[in-house]
Amino acid sequence: MIARVKHVLILAALMLFSMQVAAQETEQEREPFDDRYCMTCHGIDGVGNFGVQAPRLAGMEPWYLERQLKLFRDGLRGKHPEDTEGLAMQPMAVLTDESITDIVAWVGTWEYKPAPATITAGDKEHGESLYQTCATCHGINAEGNESMNAPALAGQNDWYLVTQLQNFKAGYRGYRDDDVYGSQMRQMSGVLQTRQDIIDVVSYINTLRKL
Amino acid sequence: MSKVVSRRDFLNLVGAIGGTSALIQASTALGLMPGTAAASELNLQAVPANGKSAVILGAGISGLCAAYELMKSGYQVTVLEASHRAGGRVMTLRSGDLVDELGNRQYCDFDDEPHLYFNAGAARIPSTHNNVLHYCRELGVELEMFINENKAAYFQDDNLMGGKPIRNREFSTNVRGFLAELFGKLFSETELMESFSREDAETLLSVVSNFGDLDEQMRYVGSTRGGYASGGFLEHGTAHDMIAIRELINRRFMNEVLTANEGETGPMLMQPVGGMDMIIKGFLRPLGERVHYRSLVRSVQVSNDSVSVEYEQNGTTHTINADYCFNCIPSHLMTGIANNFPTDYLEAMRYIRRGEAYKAAFQAKERFWEKDGIYGGISWINAPVRQIWYPAHGIHKQKGIMLAAYDYGGGMHFTKMTQEQRLEAALAQGEKVHPEYRQYMEKGVTIAWHRMNHMLGCSARWQRDRGGWTDDEENLYHRLQQSVNGRHYFIGDQVSQHSAWQESALLSAHWALQDMDQRQRAQAGA
Repeated sequence: MIARVKHVLILAALMLFSMQVAAQETEQEREPFDDRYCMTCHGIDGVGNFGVQAPRLAGMEPWYLERQLKLFRDGLRGKHPEDTEGLAMQPMAVLTDESITDIVAWVGTWEYKPAPATITAGDKEHGESLYQTCATCHGINAEGNESMNAPALAGQNDWYLVTQLQNFKAGYRGYRDDDVYGSQMRQMSGVLQTRQDIIDVVSYINTLRKL
Repeated sequence: MSKVVSRRDFLNLVGAIGGTSALIQASTALGLMPGTAAASELNLQAVPANGKSAVILGAGISGLCAAYELMKSGYQVTVLEASHRAGGRVMTLRSGDLVDELGNRQYCDFDDEPHLYFNAGAARIPSTHNNVLHYCRELGVELEMFINENKAAYFQDDNLMGGKPIRNREFSTNVRGFLAELFGKLFSETELMESFSREDAETLLSVVSNFGDLDEQMRYVGSTRGGYASGGFLEHGTAHDMIAIRELINRRFMNEVLTANEGETGPMLMQPVGGMDMIIKGFLRPLGERVHYRSLVRSVQVSNDSVSVEYEQNGTTHTINADYCFNCIPSHLMTGIANNFPTDYLEAMRYIRRGEAYKAAFQAKERFWEKDGIYGGISWINAPVRQIWYPAHGIHKQKGIMLAAYDYGGGMHFTKMTQEQRLEAALAQGEKVHPEYRQYMEKGVTIAWHRMNHMLGCSARWQRDRGGWTDDEENLYHRLQQSVNGRHYFIGDQVSQHSAWQESALLSAHWALQDMDQRQRAQAGA
């Protein structure tokens, strides 16, 4: 009996859905589109794409994805004129809360695949000593820590980490006080004094793996 | 006596010294591979019907060309296109069309009439682009003339003549007059006679005088070529006053008036009747169901004797195994798709940068420019919109589509704006030329190619510096032009040294097809 009721409900829902679709079609007969265009830039299943400098999303924490999408949407990230990649991302995130929930649920299913290392010029030992400050929030293995609001760094595209550390240092990211964790990170990036420091610490992160 | 080197010996020598890329460059020069001098003759060996297969990634013009030629030769062909439409950067917008610009999706709201279209990408066919013209002929694409330069159109710069727009003919007449007078001052007949006979020197000076419409003292004092201030038909015409050259100094405008009729955008230029995508429709007609839309490539795996492509359509994953793969997915997107390409190939893919072209258009409620004597052509504005184009088709109809901005790269000025800001900027800059502009303009569309879904750029930029291609760049380019295992070929204007033209895309497809064909013939003969 329950099964039958379910079927009827599903059937009714399907009919309603197809009626809506039909109504929309006769109304405008326009090419449909949806909000699931992340793979165009971020690569298939979010593996990251050097070609458009779009980072790996596969395996990224859903809470972090949601926070960043909302920061972009609300213009708290990706509005600085020097933040080239952020400026490209910002208009993509002008979405409703429902769309963001839907995207996070979808993107959250992409399997974690560590990105291949591309940086060879770093001093990993120096990077390791620099990383000790980072480890407080991001974890010893750069595995991330939700209670500290710090995402995993291990397995992220190294070129993306370098760009973001530079952006934090230069104030292209974390420039607004209402981006609470971004502005915290901007302060913390002061630990890295030079570009070589950034390369060194990212080279060390390249040796770490999220379990 | 030195030994005569045969063409083949020579190629072997070059191949031994410079490697494959030198070989390819040399063979292009020797006419063994398609150049641009004539429509390249494809003579693919026919295969038994459906005996061989090819998968084509991307329904841009290079992909469609490859698919069409292979189909004609008996191959089983499948074209996978990620977006809802074919054509790539050959895109004509009409009533109801979707502009799938990420972060700024729009529907084009033009009235539904055949002449109310906008070529948002490719818009001009030079008469030297033999392969484009060849396919227009073969596919029954009707052509008409496109007007690029129009002496009745305007130049406008806030810093010239108090910002007043000046007709192209007046601008160019005054610039030419100045240049001719300058030449006359520098070279008297006596000086010229050191290198030429008296007669030749006289001829040269008379040509110079005519070039600038100078007076008998070789002075420029104004010319009726710049148009009449009054009269001209029932009464004698009065020329405009001469404009001193210092009033006209603008590098872009001056270069434009002296080179508008030179090179690739010189006459004659053509356009298909009804929109540039008539060429795309011409390819699509015979290809029919072979083209699959909304099919996103997930993986390309090349082996010694085949290529395996995984793609997603309507939420289902499919796999195609084919003998050959021709790929016009932009390299900067292909780097985000799983593949087993060799390292040096990947390195070449990662080197190319993507260009940033931008266009905007309005529907004009009235063709007000025709009442101002402008029929087709381009006005130049020293502002970010750079150009406005008057349609050469639909003359004397009520409405027309006008290109309102064309920023062909080098900046993200408009791309960074919202749709409202983009349209307002186009109106504010356009009304510098036509004060009545704003009141006639409606239903604007904008397109930032850097953000177009499944393309994200226009066009491939190989050169880091304006100075020319470095040796490294040449090598990377020629590496990417080569196949992987004779099975996977990149095509599209990204593997040409003259990007952003349909001709380059077609020739890239021909190059790949001929390479494949030669390998097949060699194999068959072995």
